[in-house]
Amino acid sequence: MLGWLRIVVARIRGWLSGRHADEEFARELESHLEMLAQENMRRGMAPEEARRTARMRLGGMTQISEQHREMHTLPLLETLVQDIRYGLRTLRKSPGFTSVAVLTLALGIGANTAIFTLVHAVLLKPLPVAYPEQLYNLGDDQNCCSLGGSQDSFTLFSYPLYKEIRDHTPEFSEIAAFRSHVPRLSVRRSTSDSFAEPFRSQFVSGNYFSMFGVGAFAGRTLTPADDEPGAPNVAVMSYRTWQVRFAADPSVIGSQMIIDRQPVTVVGVAAPSFFGERLVGDPAELWVPLASEPKLMPIGTHLNDSDDYWLYAIGRLRPEVTPIQAQARLKSEIQQWIAARPKMSGYRPDELEKMVLTLTPASGGVRGLQMDYAEPLRFLTVVSAFVLLIACANIANLLLARCTASRGEIAVRVALGASRGRLVQQVVTESVLLALAGGAAGVGLAFLGTRVILLLVFRGAEYVPIEASPSIPVLAFAFALSVATGVIFGMAPAWAGSHARPAETLRGAGRSTTDRSRVPQRALLVLQAALSLVLLVGAGLATESLRNLENQRFGFKTAGRLVVRVDSDLGGYAPERLPSLYQELQERLRAIPGVQSASLSMYSPMERSNWADPISIAGHPTPPGQVFASSLNSVSARYFETIGTRLVRGRVIDERDMPTSRHVAVISEAFARKYFPNEEALGQHFGIGDATHAGDYEIVGIVEDAKYIDAREAAYVTAFLPLLQARENNSNIFHDIQLLVAGPAENLGPVIRRELASVDSNLTVIRVTRFDEQVAENFNSERLVARLTTLYGLLALALACVGLYGVAAYTVTRRTSEIGVRMALGAPSGSILAMMLRVAMAPVMLGLLVGLPLALAGGRAIASQLYGLKSYDSVVLGTAVLVLLASSILAALIPARRAARIDPMTALRYE
Amino acid sequence: MAEDKPVILQGTLDLMVLKTLETLGPLHGYGIARRIEQISEDALQLNQGTIYPSLTRLLQKRWISAAWGASENNRKAKFYSITKAGRKQLAHEARSWERISGVIGRVLRTGTSG
Repeated sequence: MLGWLRIVVARIRGWLSGRHADEEFARELESHLEMLAQENMRRGMAPEEARRTARMRLGGMTQISEQHREMHTLPLLETLVQDIRYGLRTLRKSPGFTSVAVLTLALGIGANTAIFTLVHAVLLKPLPVAYPEQLYNLGDDQNCCSLGGSQDSFTLFSYPLYKEIRDHTPEFSEIAAFRSHVPRLSVRRSTSDSFAEPFRSQFVSGNYFSMFGVGAFAGRTLTPADDEPGAPNVAVMSYRTWQVRFAADPSVIGSQMIIDRQPVTVVGVAAPSFFGERLVGDPAELWVPLASEPKLMPIGTHLNDSDDYWLYAIGRLRPEVTPIQAQARLKSEIQQWIAARPKMSGYRPDELEKMVLTLTPASGGVRGLQMDYAEPLRFLTVVSAFVLLIACANIANLLLARCTASRGEIAVRVALGASRGRLVQQVVTESVLLALAGGAAGVGLAFLGTRVILLLVFRGAEYVPIEASPSIPVLAFAFALSVATGVIFGMAPAWAGSHARPAETLRGAGRSTTDRSRVPQRALLVLQAALSLVLLVGAGLATESLRNLENQRFGFKTAGRLVVRVDSDLGGYAPERLPSLYQELQERLRAIPGVQSASLSMYSPMERSNWADPISIAGHPTPPGQVFASSLNSVSARYFETIGTRLVRGRVIDERDMPTSRHVAVISEAFARKYFPNEEALGQHFGIGDATHAGDYEIVGIVEDAKYIDAREAAYVTAFLPLLQARENNSNIFHDIQLLVAGPAENLGPVIRRELASVDSNLTVIRVTRFDEQVAENFNSERLVARLTTLYGLLALALACVGLYGVAAYTVTRRTSEIGVRMALGAPSGSILAMMLRVAMAPVMLGLLVGLPLALAGGRAIASQLYGLKSYDSVVLGTAVLVLLASSILAALIPARRAARIDPMTALRYE
Repeated sequence: MAEDKPVILQGTLDLMVLKTLETLGPLHGYGIARRIEQISEDALQLNQGTIYPSLTRLLQKRWISAAWGASENNRKAKFYSITKAGRKQLAHEARSWERISGVIGRVLRTGTSG
């Protein structure tokens, strides 16, 4: 073992000493020869004879030197270095070829690296916590927003249930819980009288940090003692928040903040890399114990209600336990606990029996972005691979052309005894060199590209916990991809070149109009055209689908409208004070110059908020086994006018609808269709909850259907209640302001903040957005796919055209003399042009034939993601075909025209 | 087949070079080659050049070392000498050589008698 190592070291040393060692050995042999000769002379030979005999005794000097050299150094490395040197020299000698090739590869590899950076960050990279592979989600976290009632797949926990399983499931070393959605709380430092600002504040169990194995950067993290009832209010701040919002001010740690009127001590800053339990744009900025929830969010506190399911849980599984065991144990624990509740948390016995609980790996945390982006990223990976394939085909073609040009040289080398293996090694080395250069440039492009992609993905987010700069896995990926690329595109020309038949080539160098490289060249062009068509069709489909999504009839108008999200901490308000507050607010807002109409509501369309509840309808008893339900929203006067939803019949909610007046409701057309299919809906009554509430609200108006949650689905059945009359679910508290503005709306933010603060200092503006922007943020993943597929499709098209141009130009050069003969014999230049175009376009047409069925199959694969068009949309297909044809004709036309302008005399002399 | 020219195993030549250097002290390549020829009473007619691969091998294993010096008639020549590790290796090899040749000898003898 050691001896082996010693030899390698000696060989490396020998290799490094290079020529010097060779010379020394030559001197040694020379002295040996000298001594032999001297002895021979002593024996009486003539000097000449002595030297000759000496040489014979010593043996072939060249072989000995060669053998010595081989033993002394590293032969494999030696030839590799030779090839690299040779490769670099040839690449330097043809800078045009090299720069085109490197640029092409940079685009191809960069496109893939950018996507991989995202794939790695979003799908592969674990949370920056200790042993992330031991973590499991208790449930499959698909279930959101349901507070009560049965869950199809158990995922949400109530606080009492969480405590039960935390203390009685020894399969987990620790189980932590946290809110399923991160709320914003208004926070200000108690030392200054600065503005309150909204902070994303996550409520977590006391063992949250110890379960993740995450420490504090400064101060301390939360402990179970902080999560006891009656414990002092504490919070841990994220490192980034500390850096950005507080300029890393050390006095923040240990200081007091006012969070929604409650004094809270900041006890520490979490580890810099930690961003919470899920990867999202704008992650949590503060972590506070669950026990402080009733104090910090007094409106609608969930903490002590056994039947409020609002928490996610992640557990650290003990290494000796399998997930299956833990899953079975947890499930029976939960079933027993629910069965023991008086109301069984809304479960029927048969539902409880069939309850599903799935442990899912949580090394990546709670799935946030992963859910939205797994599918698009897979799609984009395929798309970018296509781009790289096309780039590879281009380079392979260029190399093929070069190989043909250097056939003479290769033939000479084969004739002199170069082995085919050695020739292939040399060509492949050269192509890998090219690919590595392209890869290096590609990593740079990918860095820029990733930043752009992140902007697309996180439209509307201030901060994204994803690094665009290439990490080690990304660099490794780019490197591996470059080498693989180099080998792939180097193989074809290496094969073609090494099969050169020296005798033939040397006999009639470059005379024929056909040559062996033409077949692979054409095949590559066909491949390029087919792949380009697939990408163009994909880009067309994705773009059209996005356009349909964005320009559909939403049932509201976004033009000239602003939405203001407010953290309205009105917990202290007596309900009877709300009317005057709302009235004052609306008046103040309307008085802002440019504002034409202002309204308040619980939430607004496409904001990812929804409130739905079971309802009862007077005179229409709910059939057994069925549930009448509706989405609900509470809105102020002028709401429909401000967001541009049309009144169909009756009246809208207006200033008359005070807490004490008759309780009314406006319903959507879908509501009327569903619950009053054959009768007049106006004048009917319904209520939220069981039949005792059926008479609560009288329907006074019907508005057009509007989409509030899912842009791909039909509008939900919805009822709107007057903000001042709604009671359930704290729906009399507004969270949203809508403004219809004439003229520029961008700069109204500060004015709005000022007006709100002057009405009540506890109204914290979370964000001011244009309404169209709020809607657009719902299509981030669709936009990413559409834009990138278009970009990559055009890239592919450009590469394919460059490839086509290259091959066509090369064909013209090779056939110059033939064309000259044709023209000398009287062929008109028009027919030459047509002939060259025909030759160039043949592979493109074949590519179309191959590509069309491929594109159709690809379309079918993404059909479920398309909105408002079929996967075989004829306009998209036709456009793609036309674009491909037009650009390839353009690419082929340039060399074809050159062919048509050839002067026969020059061409023949050139021969 | 060449007439009874003993095939020299790679390892055998190495062993002979080591032994030569141990007995005679530092020697140049020519000297080593001459010495092996003499000892074997010219039974081993080798191309003298073939000892160089052997020398390279031994150098790489650090069983011998090399230095330039002046030969008997004042020529520059590279002198090889055995190292401590080389002596140990030689002793080890010699022992196992004797053992093996003993065993082989016995086997061959029983083969002829039986």
